[in-house]
Amino acid sequence: MAESPGLGSLLAEHWRLARQLRHLRIRFDAARCKGVWECYEVCPVGCWLPDRVRGAAIFQNEEGCIACGACVLQCPERAIELR
Amino acid sequence: MATVFMKWLETRPRDYARGIRLLTLGRLARLHTKIAERWIQPGERVLDLGCGTGDLVLQMAARDAAVTALDVSAPMLAEAKQCLEEAGFADRVCWVCSSAAMLEERFEPGSFDAVVASLILSELPRQIRLHVLRQIRQILAPQGRLIVVDEVKPERLIARALYVLLRAPMRVITWILTRTTTHPLPEFDRMLEAAGFRPERRGAALMGSLQVVVAGLKQKEEGGPERLPVLGELRHRVTLRTLLLDLWGLFFRILPPYPRVEPGLYRLGNPGTESPVLATGNFDLTVRRLIAPLDGRVDAWVLVVNSSGINVWCAAGGGFLTAERVIGAIHVSGLESYLRQKCLILPQLCANGVDGWKIRRETGWEVHWGPVRAADIPAYLQAEMQKTDSMRWVRFPMRDRLEMMAVTLGFYGLLILLPVAVFWPLLFRPVLLSLVGLSTFYAIAMPWLPGRDGLAKSLPLSVISLLGLGLYTWLVDPAPASSIFARGIGLAGLSVFVAAELQGMSPLMRGEQANWGWEAVIGAALGLIYWLVPQVLGWR
Repeated sequence: MAESPGLGSLLAEHWRLARQLRHLRIRFDAARCKGVWECYEVCPVGCWLPDRVRGAAIFQNEEGCIACGACVLQCPERAIELR
Repeated sequence: MATVFMKWLETRPRDYARGIRLLTLGRLARLHTKIAERWIQPGERVLDLGCGTGDLVLQMAARDAAVTALDVSAPMLAEAKQCLEEAGFADRVCWVCSSAAMLEERFEPGSFDAVVASLILSELPRQIRLHVLRQIRQILAPQGRLIVVDEVKPERLIARALYVLLRAPMRVITWILTRTTTHPLPEFDRMLEAAGFRPERRGAALMGSLQVVVAGLKQKEEGGPERLPVLGELRHRVTLRTLLLDLWGLFFRILPPYPRVEPGLYRLGNPGTESPVLATGNFDLTVRRLIAPLDGRVDAWVLVVNSSGINVWCAAGGGFLTAERVIGAIHVSGLESYLRQKCLILPQLCANGVDGWKIRRETGWEVHWGPVRAADIPAYLQAEMQKTDSMRWVRFPMRDRLEMMAVTLGFYGLLILLPVAVFWPLLFRPVLLSLVGLSTFYAIAMPWLPGRDGLAKSLPLSVISLLGLGLYTWLVDPAPASSIFARGIGLAGLSVFVAAELQGMSPLMRGEQANWGWEAVIGAALGLIYWLVPQVLGWR
């Protein structure tokens, strides 16, 4: 029978998650961006803007990122990562 | 803390397996063995619908059956896969992560000799259950059979009474231990008949409350309508029920069971073949808040997707609202037959968990991310689905801040005030007043307090609360230094807690777990000061 994790490992896991959530940052590979702008479409805190001249996305307002992961999931080119 | 609570609510695969074992007193495993031995022949093509942690998959793979294991939950499938790998049978199994409502899309007609459905049909909403049964009929070979294991209410009076009496406490205990529960299957035979099956044999365990039904296909298939009817019309109504639900939800909306709306297709106004389709989750409050600003202004189809009764943002973040569930909902609703264009508007705030490209790929539908606030939907539709920036960016205005404060107060009221009332009754009033006062002040003053996140804002909040304490001491209650000191420590601790935790309720900040490390450190430091200073100053 599988045991559920003990309190110690549960706390350690939450501690790790907390650290991770605090330090997650957007890594944007601009070279892969084809300007679909789904990131701009879904970001609720305005971290992405469309660059209509170059046909790409611009990442801005890094301070405001809430690490929700919407842009990562919706980017068809997989150009965005949260690490 | 609220997030830990929500996390705790999520059933992990191992907890699920444990919960089911508890609820069925271990009898389910024995039934599974029996099924594998008696009704599954070596070499047969079998679909395990809703395979869960793979108990039955293992038994059937061990019998050399060609098993396809399907589940909507990726973590469950991973657990099942691991279980099969350990037994060395993983290569005999084909794994499919999909909603049960997509069988006809995934499999050719007549693909299986047997379909087993163990404790899955009772989990599905009624309409979807009928739809799934009809699809099973299509993918079964002519001589194929459906084997259902599920919970039913026993028929005999004494057994039924015992079942009701024993099940309630069992359910509560099991739920607390594992967040797992089951629901009895109502009027199952009638539904089997309606879907084109003929029950042939049955077995039972646990006084008839756990039944195995083996059903073959009925010869003549009546060409009944495949499309499921529209569930009804959604109207914005304020009734005693909604007022009570709102009052409860103001403080306790994060406590389950969540009030739900039956998933399915609804009419809003008088929609036609060109009308937009708005998707949403099936939390009662979510649906009502979507409808309120639209009723009478917009004609649309509303597709209520099963999000386990959770709001779209949290459900998508927690894996309850997924592309699979949306695809399943589109499919079951038969929407395509009502519409000329295939165009779905998803709430923008589920983009953190619903893969839009998967929906586009698998359904051929256009997917649009609608505005954040339902109130913007009429303008958004008018502008032919073009969003302005103010429609796509969240705000956290005073009204929302106060509402979220009430939600946290309700939760922390239970978490902090209840233990305080029991163990330190003298502290109850001051803690209650401090908590309410600090939360209210913080909710109002939040945007003007310096600092980027809740943790940073907790410093000015502490300073202000300590100034308030100073003023109170000076004007109202000149207490001795030792008790002022104790009050100050308590107030500082509560300030940090309130500011750091309310962060989780703000859509503009990261989840409050981000603060825990520092919260714990600050808490320990305050505890140390509380213990050390009186020693040094000789107050004790």
